[in-house]
Amino acid sequence: MRWGMAIELKRCVGCYECVLACKAEHFLPPEIFWNWVLIGESGKYPSVTKLIYNVRCNQCADPACVKVCPTGATQQREDGIVWVDEDKCVGCRYCMVACPYQMRTIYENGNKGYFPGQELTEHEKIGQVLYPHQTGVVQKCVFCKERIDAGLAAGLTPGVDREATPACVINCPTKAMHFGDLDDPYSEINRLIKEKKGRPFHPEYGTDPSIYYID
Amino acid sequence: MIQTRPYEFMVKYTPQRDWIEGHGILIAFAMFFGGISGGLYLASLFFDSLLGMFIAWLLAMVAGGTDMLHLSKPIRFWRMMLKPGSSWISRGFILIWLFLGAAMIQLALSQWAPGTAETVFKVLAGIMAFGVAIYSGFVVGYVGAIKLWNSAVIPILYVISGLTSGLAVLLLVHFNKSSATLLSVADYLLAALVVYAVFVAIYFWVATYSSVTTRDSVVRVLRGNIAPAFWLGVVLLGIIVPIALVAPFSVADNTSTAAFAVAAVGTIIGGVMLRYVILKGGLYSPLLPAE
Repeated sequence: MRWGMAIELKRCVGCYECVLACKAEHFLPPEIFWNWVLIGESGKYPSVTKLIYNVRCNQCADPACVKVCPTGATQQREDGIVWVDEDKCVGCRYCMVACPYQMRTIYENGNKGYFPGQELTEHEKIGQVLYPHQTGVVQKCVFCKERIDAGLAAGLTPGVDREATPACVINCPTKAMHFGDLDDPYSEINRLIKEKKGRPFHPEYGTDPSIYYID
Repeated sequence: MIQTRPYEFMVKYTPQRDWIEGHGILIAFAMFFGGISGGLYLASLFFDSLLGMFIAWLLAMVAGGTDMLHLSKPIRFWRMMLKPGSSWISRGFILIWLFLGAAMIQLALSQWAPGTAETVFKVLAGIMAFGVAIYSGFVVGYVGAIKLWNSAVIPILYVISGLTSGLAVLLLVHFNKSSATLLSVADYLLAALVVYAVFVAIYFWVATYSSVTTRDSVVRVLRGNIAPAFWLGVVLLGIIVPIALVAPFSVADNTSTAAFAVAAVGTIIGGVMLRYVILKGGLYSPLLPAE
Protein backbone atom coordinates (compact mmCIF):
# COMPACT_ATOMS: atom_id res chain seq x y z
CA MET A 1 0.00 0.00 0.00
CA ARG A 2 1.30 3.44 -0.90
CA TRP A 3 -0.91 6.46 -0.45
CA GLY A 4 -0.75 9.02 -3.20
CA MET A 5 -2.48 12.02 -4.67
CA ALA A 6 -3.40 13.15 -8.16
CA ILE A 7 -4.10 16.81 -8.85
CA GLU A 8 -5.85 17.99 -12.00
CA LEU A 9 -4.26 21.34 -12.82
CA LYS A 10 -6.99 22.43 -15.20
CA ARG A 11 -9.58 22.09 -12.46
CA CYS A 12 -7.59 24.03 -9.86
CA VAL A 13 -8.70 27.63 -9.64
CA GLY A 14 -6.19 28.71 -7.00
CA CYS A 15 -8.84 29.39 -4.35
CA TYR A 16 -6.56 28.41 -1.41
CA GLU A 17 -9.31 26.26 0.12
CA CYS A 18 -6.85 23.37 0.44
CA VAL A 19 -4.50 25.64 2.40
CA LEU A 20 -7.29 26.79 4.71
CA ALA A 21 -8.64 23.26 5.18
CA CYS A 22 -5.17 22.09 6.22
CA LYS A 23 -4.80 25.02 8.61
CA ALA A 24 -8.12 24.22 10.24
CA GLU A 25 -7.61 20.45 10.33
CA HIS A 26 -4.26 20.66 12.11
CA PHE A 27 -4.79 23.94 14.00
CA LEU A 28 -1.67 25.28 12.34
CA PRO A 29 -0.25 28.37 14.07
CA PRO A 30 0.36 31.68 12.24
CA GLU A 31 3.06 31.57 9.55
CA ILE A 32 3.01 27.78 9.51
CA PHE A 33 1.80 26.11 6.34
CA TRP A 34 1.83 22.49 5.34
CA ASN A 35 0.67 23.22 1.81
CA TRP A 36 0.94 26.17 -0.55
CA VAL A 37 -0.51 27.46 -3.79
CA LEU A 38 2.25 28.40 -6.21
CA ILE A 39 1.47 30.83 -8.98
CA GLY A 40 3.83 31.35 -11.87
CA GLU A 41 3.80 32.19 -15.53
CA SER A 42 5.47 30.70 -18.55
CA GLY A 43 5.88 32.03 -22.06
CA LYS A 44 5.81 35.58 -23.37
CA TYR A 45 2.98 37.85 -24.41
CA PRO A 46 0.72 37.04 -26.18
CA SER A 47 1.33 33.33 -25.49
CA VAL A 48 1.40 33.34 -21.75
CA THR A 49 0.27 30.50 -19.53
CA LYS A 50 -0.58 31.00 -15.91
CA LEU A 51 0.54 28.10 -13.77
CA ILE A 52 -1.25 27.25 -10.55
CA TYR A 53 0.12 24.36 -8.53
CA ASN A 54 -1.04 23.45 -5.08
CA VAL A 55 1.89 21.78 -3.42
CA ARG A 56 2.68 19.96 -0.21
CA CYS A 57 5.14 17.30 0.96
CA ASN A 58 5.36 14.80 -1.89
CA GLN A 59 5.61 11.83 0.50
CA CYS A 60 8.52 10.66 -1.65
CA ALA A 61 9.19 6.94 -1.85
CA ASP A 62 12.92 7.72 -1.64
CA PRO A 63 12.90 10.78 0.62
CA ALA A 64 16.05 12.83 1.12
CA CYS A 65 14.72 14.08 4.47
CA VAL A 66 14.56 10.61 6.02
CA LYS A 67 18.13 9.82 5.00
CA VAL A 68 19.68 13.00 6.37
CA CYS A 69 17.77 13.13 9.68
CA PRO A 70 20.39 12.40 12.37
CA THR A 71 17.89 11.43 15.06
CA GLY A 72 15.39 9.25 13.25
CA ALA A 73 12.67 11.81 13.95
CA THR A 74 11.72 11.89 10.29
CA GLN A 75 10.31 8.49 9.50
CA GLN A 76 8.55 6.71 6.70
CA ARG A 77 5.62 4.44 7.41
CA GLU A 78 4.93 1.24 5.50
CA ASP A 79 2.17 3.02 3.60
CA GLY A 80 4.74 5.57 2.38
CA ILE A 81 3.71 8.49 4.58
CA VAL A 82 6.69 10.50 5.78
CA TRP A 83 6.19 12.13 9.17
CA VAL A 84 8.14 13.79 11.95
CA ASP A 85 8.15 12.46 15.50
CA GLU A 86 8.20 15.77 17.37
CA ASP A 87 9.58 14.14 20.51
CA LYS A 88 12.71 13.06 18.64
CA CYS A 89 13.38 16.13 16.50
CA VAL A 90 16.31 18.30 17.66
CA GLY A 91 15.64 21.12 15.18
CA CYS A 92 18.92 20.84 13.27
CA ARG A 93 17.07 21.74 10.04
CA TYR A 94 19.07 19.30 7.91
CA CYS A 95 15.81 17.89 6.50
CA MET A 96 14.63 21.40 5.59
CA VAL A 97 17.87 22.10 3.76
CA ALA A 98 17.83 18.71 2.02
CA CYS A 99 14.24 18.80 0.70
CA PRO A 100 14.45 19.89 -2.95
CA TYR A 101 10.79 20.88 -2.82
CA GLN A 102 11.27 23.09 0.27
CA MET A 103 8.16 21.60 1.81
CA ARG A 104 9.27 21.68 5.42
CA THR A 105 8.93 24.42 7.96
CA ILE A 106 10.04 24.92 11.54
CA TYR A 107 7.69 26.14 14.25
CA GLU A 108 9.68 28.60 16.33
CA ASN A 109 7.44 31.16 17.98
CA GLY A 110 4.99 29.29 20.13
CA ASN A 111 3.47 32.39 21.76
CA LYS A 112 2.32 33.97 18.56
CA GLY A 113 -1.45 34.06 18.09
CA TYR A 114 -3.45 35.03 15.04
CA PHE A 115 -4.38 38.35 16.65
CA PRO A 116 -1.22 40.05 17.95
CA GLY A 117 -1.65 41.96 21.16
CA GLN A 118 -4.68 39.95 22.18
CA GLU A 119 -4.94 36.69 24.02
CA LEU A 120 -5.47 33.49 22.09
CA THR A 121 -8.96 32.90 20.74
CA GLU A 122 -11.05 29.99 21.98
CA HIS A 123 -10.35 28.20 18.71
CA GLU A 124 -6.60 28.58 19.20
CA LYS A 125 -6.84 27.37 22.79
CA ILE A 126 -8.81 24.31 21.72
CA GLY A 127 -6.21 23.68 19.01
CA GLN A 128 -3.44 23.66 21.59
CA VAL A 129 -5.24 20.84 23.37
CA LEU A 130 -6.46 18.84 20.38
CA TYR A 131 -3.43 19.22 18.14
CA PRO A 132 -0.49 20.51 20.20
CA HIS A 133 2.57 21.59 18.22
CA GLN A 134 5.97 21.59 19.86
CA THR A 135 8.10 24.64 19.24
CA GLY A 136 11.59 24.24 17.79
CA VAL A 137 10.75 21.19 15.72
CA VAL A 138 10.20 20.68 12.02
CA GLN A 139 6.72 20.28 10.61
CA LYS A 140 5.28 19.09 7.33
CA CYS A 141 2.21 17.64 5.62
CA VAL A 142 1.49 14.09 6.75
CA PHE A 143 -1.34 13.33 4.31
CA CYS A 144 -3.71 13.67 7.31
CA LYS A 145 -2.48 10.32 8.62
CA GLU A 146 -4.74 10.61 11.65
CA ARG A 147 -7.80 10.68 9.40
CA ILE A 148 -6.47 7.77 7.35
CA ASP A 149 -5.69 5.65 10.41
CA ALA A 150 -9.02 6.37 12.09
CA GLY A 151 -10.86 5.75 8.83
CA LEU A 152 -9.14 2.43 8.20
CA ALA A 153 -9.85 1.37 11.77
CA ALA A 154 -13.51 2.14 11.16
CA GLY A 155 -13.52 0.07 7.96
CA LEU A 156 -13.54 3.08 5.64
CA THR A 157 -11.54 3.54 2.44
CA PRO A 158 -9.25 6.57 2.15
CA GLY A 159 -9.89 8.40 -1.09
CA VAL A 160 -13.45 7.09 -1.24
CA ASP A 161 -14.92 7.90 2.16
CA ARG A 162 -14.68 11.54 3.23
CA GLU A 163 -13.90 10.73 6.85
CA ALA A 164 -10.80 8.78 5.85
CA THR A 165 -9.49 11.20 3.22
CA PRO A 166 -7.08 14.15 3.69
CA ALA A 167 -8.79 17.44 4.51
CA CYS A 168 -7.39 19.31 1.51
CA VAL A 169 -8.81 16.70 -0.88
CA ILE A 170 -12.35 16.62 0.50
CA ASN A 171 -12.53 20.41 0.76
CA CYS A 172 -11.46 21.14 -2.82
CA PRO A 173 -14.52 22.85 -4.35
CA THR A 174 -13.60 21.92 -7.92
CA LYS A 175 -12.70 18.31 -7.12
CA ALA A 176 -9.27 18.84 -8.58
CA MET A 177 -7.65 16.56 -6.01
CA HIS A 178 -7.85 12.79 -5.77
CA PHE A 179 -6.46 10.44 -3.16
CA GLY A 180 -5.89 6.71 -3.13
CA ASP A 181 -3.58 3.73 -3.13
CA LEU A 182 -0.87 3.93 -5.78
CA ASP A 183 -0.08 0.24 -5.31
CA ASP A 184 -3.64 -0.81 -6.19
CA PRO A 185 -3.79 -1.09 -9.99
CA TYR A 186 -7.59 -0.77 -9.88
CA SER A 187 -7.77 2.35 -7.73
CA GLU A 188 -9.40 5.48 -9.11
CA ILE A 189 -6.20 7.45 -8.66
CA ASN A 190 -4.19 4.97 -10.72
CA ARG A 191 -6.81 5.04 -13.49
CA LEU A 192 -6.61 8.84 -13.58
CA ILE A 193 -2.82 8.89 -13.63
CA LYS A 194 -2.69 6.35 -16.45
CA GLU A 195 -5.51 7.79 -18.57
CA LYS A 196 -4.57 11.42 -18.19
CA LYS A 197 -0.82 10.88 -18.13
CA GLY A 198 -0.15 12.15 -14.63
CA ARG A 199 3.44 13.04 -13.83
CA PRO A 200 5.22 13.76 -10.57
CA PHE A 201 6.59 17.22 -9.86
CA HIS A 202 10.25 17.51 -10.87
CA PRO A 203 11.00 13.80 -11.21
CA GLU A 204 14.61 14.78 -11.96
CA TYR A 205 15.13 15.25 -8.23
CA GLY A 206 15.09 11.47 -8.01
CA THR A 207 12.99 11.12 -4.88
CA ASP A 208 10.01 9.33 -6.48
CA PRO A 209 7.14 11.59 -5.28
CA SER A 210 3.71 10.16 -4.47
CA ILE A 211 1.84 13.20 -5.79
CA TYR A 212 1.03 13.31 -9.49
CA TYR A 213 -0.05 16.33 -11.52
CA ILE A 214 -2.39 16.04 -14.46
CA ASP A 215 -2.40 18.77 -17.14
CA MET B 1 -9.18 43.73 -4.53
CA ILE B 2 -7.82 40.46 -3.23
CA GLN B 3 -4.25 39.91 -4.24
CA THR B 4 -2.91 36.44 -4.63
CA ARG B 5 0.62 36.11 -3.40
CA PRO B 6 3.01 33.99 -5.39
CA TYR B 7 5.54 32.32 -3.12
CA GLU B 8 8.76 33.75 -4.37
CA PHE B 9 10.81 31.08 -2.66
CA MET B 10 9.36 28.52 -5.01
CA VAL B 11 9.06 30.45 -8.26
CA LYS B 12 12.50 32.04 -8.28
CA TYR B 13 16.02 30.99 -7.40
CA THR B 14 15.85 31.02 -3.65
CA PRO B 15 18.81 31.34 -1.28
CA GLN B 16 18.81 28.76 1.49
CA ARG B 17 18.35 30.53 4.81
CA ASP B 18 18.02 27.82 7.41
CA TRP B 19 21.75 27.27 7.73
CA ILE B 20 23.03 30.82 7.53
CA GLU B 21 20.50 33.30 8.90
CA GLY B 22 19.76 33.91 12.58
CA HIS B 23 21.37 31.29 14.75
CA GLY B 24 21.74 29.16 11.62
CA ILE B 25 25.10 30.90 11.19
CA LEU B 26 26.38 28.73 14.03
CA ILE B 27 26.54 25.88 11.52
CA ALA B 28 29.18 27.80 9.55
CA PHE B 29 31.22 28.17 12.74
CA ALA B 30 30.67 24.51 13.73
CA MET B 31 31.96 23.45 10.31
CA PHE B 32 34.94 25.77 10.64
CA PHE B 33 35.85 24.64 14.13
CA GLY B 34 35.54 21.00 13.08
CA GLY B 35 37.81 21.61 10.09
CA ILE B 36 40.43 23.57 11.98
CA SER B 37 40.41 21.09 14.85
CA GLY B 38 41.01 18.10 12.59
CA GLY B 39 43.57 19.97 10.50
CA LEU B 40 45.43 21.25 13.54
CA TYR B 41 45.61 17.81 15.14
CA LEU B 42 47.01 16.26 11.95
CA ALA B 43 49.51 19.10 11.56
CA SER B 44 50.46 18.78 15.24
CA LEU B 45 51.07 15.06 14.82
CA PHE B 46 53.40 15.83 11.92
CA PHE B 47 55.30 18.45 13.90
CA ASP B 48 54.94 16.55 17.17
CA SER B 49 53.41 19.55 18.91
CA LEU B 50 51.67 18.60 22.12
CA LEU B 51 50.33 22.13 22.56
CA GLY B 52 48.87 22.02 19.06
CA MET B 53 47.16 18.71 19.84
CA PHE B 54 45.69 20.14 23.01
CA ILE B 55 44.36 23.21 21.19
CA ALA B 56 42.89 20.88 18.53
CA TRP B 57 41.11 18.99 21.29
CA LEU B 58 39.74 22.28 22.68
CA LEU B 59 38.60 23.35 19.22
CA ALA B 60 36.80 20.02 18.75
CA MET B 61 34.94 20.76 22.01
CA VAL B 62 33.99 24.14 20.59
CA ALA B 63 32.87 22.49 17.30
CA GLY B 64 30.63 20.05 19.17
CA GLY B 65 29.34 22.84 21.41
CA THR B 66 28.56 25.09 18.45
CA ASP B 67 26.80 22.18 16.76
CA MET B 68 24.63 21.75 19.84
CA LEU B 69 23.97 25.48 20.21
CA HIS B 70 22.63 25.50 16.66
CA LEU B 71 19.91 23.04 17.61
CA SER B 72 16.46 24.31 18.52
CA LYS B 73 16.31 21.51 21.10
CA PRO B 74 19.91 21.32 22.38
CA ILE B 75 18.92 19.21 25.37
CA ARG B 76 18.18 16.37 22.96
CA PHE B 77 21.69 16.56 21.44
CA TRP B 78 22.43 12.90 22.17
CA ARG B 79 19.80 11.90 19.65
CA MET B 80 22.07 13.21 16.90
CA MET B 81 24.18 10.07 17.21
CA LEU B 82 21.37 7.66 16.45
CA LYS B 83 21.50 7.45 12.65
CA PRO B 84 25.13 6.96 11.58
CA GLY B 85 23.97 4.55 8.91
CA SER B 86 22.47 7.29 6.78
CA SER B 87 23.05 10.77 8.20
CA TRP B 88 26.34 12.64 7.87
CA ILE B 89 25.45 14.88 10.82
CA SER B 90 25.15 11.76 12.93
CA ARG B 91 28.45 10.38 11.65
CA GLY B 92 30.17 13.71 12.24
CA PHE B 93 28.85 14.06 15.76
CA ILE B 94 30.05 10.56 16.64
CA LEU B 95 33.45 11.30 15.08
CA ILE B 96 33.79 14.43 17.23
CA TRP B 97 33.09 12.43 20.39
CA LEU B 98 35.44 9.63 19.37
CA PHE B 99 38.14 12.17 18.56
CA LEU B 100 37.64 13.90 21.89
CA GLY B 101 37.98 10.58 23.71
CA ALA B 102 40.99 9.28 21.75
CA ALA B 103 42.84 12.62 21.83
CA MET B 104 42.19 13.04 25.55
CA ILE B 105 43.66 9.60 26.30
CA GLN B 106 46.59 10.29 23.98
CA LEU B 107 47.29 13.63 25.66
CA ALA B 108 47.09 12.04 29.09
CA LEU B 109 49.41 9.20 28.04
CA SER B 110 51.91 11.59 26.50
CA GLN B 111 52.03 13.44 29.81
CA TRP B 112 52.18 10.54 32.23
CA ALA B 113 52.95 7.32 30.32
CA PRO B 114 54.57 7.92 26.94
CA GLY B 115 55.22 4.83 24.86
CA THR B 116 53.47 2.37 22.57
CA ALA B 117 50.00 3.00 23.92
CA GLU B 118 50.41 6.71 23.24
CA THR B 119 51.40 5.97 19.65
CA VAL B 120 48.35 3.75 19.22
CA PHE B 121 46.08 6.53 20.45
CA LYS B 122 47.90 9.05 18.26
CA VAL B 123 47.02 6.92 15.23
CA LEU B 124 43.43 6.48 16.40
CA ALA B 125 42.98 10.16 17.17
CA GLY B 126 44.64 11.04 13.87
CA ILE B 127 42.10 8.94 11.95
CA MET B 128 39.24 10.54 13.90
CA ALA B 129 40.76 13.99 13.32
CA PHE B 130 40.68 13.38 9.58
CA GLY B 131 37.04 12.35 9.93
CA VAL B 132 36.26 15.49 11.94
CA ALA B 133 37.91 17.63 9.28
CA ILE B 134 36.12 16.02 6.35
CA TYR B 135 32.63 15.18 7.64
CA SER B 136 31.19 18.68 7.31
CA GLY B 137 32.17 18.57 3.65
CA PHE B 138 30.03 15.47 3.26
CA VAL B 139 27.18 17.04 5.27
CA VAL B 140 27.05 19.83 2.72
CA GLY B 141 28.04 17.82 -0.35
CA TYR B 142 25.26 15.27 0.22
CA VAL B 143 22.51 17.87 -0.19
CA GLY B 144 21.29 17.30 -3.73
CA ALA B 145 18.65 20.02 -3.38
CA ILE B 146 21.30 22.75 -3.42
CA LYS B 147 23.37 22.33 -6.54
CA LEU B 148 26.27 24.51 -5.42
CA TRP B 149 26.83 22.25 -2.44
CA ASN B 150 26.26 18.97 -4.22
CA SER B 151 29.88 18.66 -5.32
CA ALA B 152 32.56 16.02 -4.82
CA VAL B 153 35.12 18.81 -4.44
CA ILE B 154 33.60 20.15 -1.20
CA PRO B 155 34.91 17.46 1.19
CA ILE B 156 38.42 17.82 -0.25
CA LEU B 157 38.19 21.60 -0.09
CA TYR B 158 37.04 21.48 3.53
CA VAL B 159 39.93 19.19 4.53
CA ILE B 160 42.50 21.40 2.80
CA SER B 161 40.94 24.48 4.37
CA GLY B 162 41.06 22.75 7.76
CA LEU B 163 44.73 21.91 7.23
CA THR B 164 45.67 25.47 6.24
CA SER B 165 43.84 26.90 9.24
CA GLY B 166 45.40 24.22 11.46
CA LEU B 167 48.89 25.06 10.20
CA ALA B 168 48.11 28.74 10.80
CA VAL B 169 47.25 28.03 14.44
CA LEU B 170 50.39 25.93 14.73
CA LEU B 171 52.40 28.85 13.37
CA LEU B 172 50.93 31.08 16.07
CA VAL B 173 51.72 28.66 18.88
CA HIS B 174 55.27 27.99 17.62
CA PHE B 175 56.55 31.53 17.98
CA ASN B 176 58.58 30.50 20.99
CA LYS B 177 60.16 27.56 19.12
CA SER B 178 63.35 27.64 17.06
CA SER B 179 63.30 29.60 13.83
CA ALA B 180 63.93 26.36 11.90
CA THR B 181 60.70 24.82 13.25
CA LEU B 182 58.80 28.04 12.64
CA LEU B 183 60.09 28.24 9.09
CA SER B 184 59.23 24.61 8.47
CA VAL B 185 55.61 25.21 9.57
CA ALA B 186 55.53 28.34 7.40
CA ASP B 187 56.78 26.36 4.39
CA TYR B 188 54.04 23.79 4.81
CA LEU B 189 51.45 26.54 5.30
CA LEU B 190 52.60 28.16 2.08
CA ALA B 191 52.31 24.88 0.17
CA ALA B 192 48.88 24.19 1.69
CA LEU B 193 47.69 27.70 0.79
CA VAL B 194 48.67 27.22 -2.84
CA VAL B 195 46.80 23.89 -3.01
CA TYR B 196 43.86 25.50 -1.20
CA ALA B 197 43.76 28.37 -3.71
CA VAL B 198 43.76 25.89 -6.58
CA PHE B 199 40.86 23.94 -5.07
CA VAL B 200 38.84 27.09 -4.38
CA ALA B 201 39.28 28.03 -8.04
CA ILE B 202 38.42 24.51 -9.25
CA TYR B 203 35.32 24.37 -7.06
CA PHE B 204 33.80 27.60 -8.33
CA TRP B 205 34.95 27.01 -11.90
CA VAL B 206 33.31 23.57 -12.00
CA ALA B 207 30.16 25.03 -10.40
CA THR B 208 29.92 27.59 -13.20
CA TYR B 209 29.42 24.81 -15.70
CA SER B 210 27.36 22.37 -13.60
CA SER B 211 23.85 23.82 -13.98
CA VAL B 212 21.95 27.07 -14.36
CA THR B 213 21.35 27.13 -10.62
CA THR B 214 25.01 26.70 -9.71
CA ARG B 215 25.97 29.37 -12.25
CA ASP B 216 23.53 31.72 -10.58
CA SER B 217 25.09 30.83 -7.21
CA VAL B 218 28.58 31.55 -8.53
CA VAL B 219 27.44 34.90 -9.97
CA ARG B 220 26.09 35.83 -6.53
CA VAL B 221 29.37 34.81 -4.94
CA LEU B 222 31.58 36.64 -7.45
CA ARG B 223 29.48 39.69 -8.22
CA GLY B 224 26.44 39.71 -5.94
CA ASN B 225 25.80 40.42 -2.29
CA ILE B 226 28.23 37.72 -1.15
CA ALA B 227 31.09 39.12 -3.25
CA PRO B 228 32.67 41.25 -0.46
CA ALA B 229 32.84 38.20 1.82
CA PHE B 230 34.37 36.14 -0.97
CA TRP B 231 36.87 38.61 -2.41
CA LEU B 232 37.92 40.26 0.85
CA GLY B 233 37.52 37.31 3.22
CA VAL B 234 38.33 34.19 1.24
CA VAL B 235 40.61 35.51 -1.50
CA LEU B 236 42.40 38.54 -0.06
CA LEU B 237 42.64 37.77 3.65
CA GLY B 238 42.56 33.98 3.31
CA ILE B 239 44.87 33.45 0.35
CA ILE B 240 46.67 36.48 -1.11
CA VAL B 241 47.78 38.19 2.10
CA PRO B 242 49.10 35.00 3.77
CA ILE B 243 50.94 33.90 0.64
CA ALA B 244 52.38 37.38 0.10
CA LEU B 245 53.55 37.55 3.71
CA VAL B 246 54.95 34.03 4.05
CA ALA B 247 56.47 33.47 0.59
CA PRO B 248 59.33 36.05 0.80
CA PHE B 249 60.49 34.71 4.16
CA SER B 250 60.14 31.14 2.99
CA VAL B 251 62.29 31.85 -0.05
CA ALA B 252 64.87 33.78 1.99
CA ASP B 253 64.88 31.21 4.84
CA ASN B 254 63.99 33.98 7.29
CA THR B 255 61.30 34.34 9.89
CA SER B 256 59.20 37.32 10.89
CA THR B 257 56.90 37.04 13.85
CA ALA B 258 54.74 39.98 12.75
CA ALA B 259 54.36 38.82 9.14
CA PHE B 260 53.65 35.24 10.17
CA ALA B 261 51.11 36.36 12.78
CA VAL B 262 49.18 38.45 10.25
CA ALA B 263 49.37 35.61 7.70
CA ALA B 264 48.07 33.10 10.25
CA VAL B 265 45.19 35.30 11.36
CA GLY B 266 44.29 36.01 7.73
CA THR B 267 44.28 32.29 6.92
CA ILE B 268 41.99 31.55 9.86
CA ILE B 269 39.56 34.33 8.91
CA GLY B 270 39.62 33.04 5.33
CA GLY B 271 38.65 29.57 6.59
CA VAL B 272 35.57 30.95 8.38
CA MET B 273 34.61 33.05 5.38
CA LEU B 274 34.86 30.06 3.02
CA ARG B 275 32.18 28.21 5.01
CA TYR B 276 30.07 31.35 5.16
CA VAL B 277 30.32 31.98 1.41
CA ILE B 278 29.48 28.39 0.47
CA LEU B 279 26.50 28.22 2.83
CA LYS B 280 25.26 31.67 1.84
CA GLY B 281 25.70 30.95 -1.86
CA GLY B 282 23.44 27.89 -1.80
CA LEU B 283 20.36 28.31 -3.99
CA TYR B 284 17.28 26.20 -4.58
CA SER B 285 16.04 25.82 -8.13
CA PRO B 286 12.57 27.32 -8.71
CA LEU B 287 9.70 24.85 -8.68
CA LEU B 288 7.74 26.91 -11.18
CA PRO B 289 8.96 29.24 -13.90
CA ALA B 290 8.34 32.84 -12.89
CA GLU B 291 9.28 34.90 -15.91
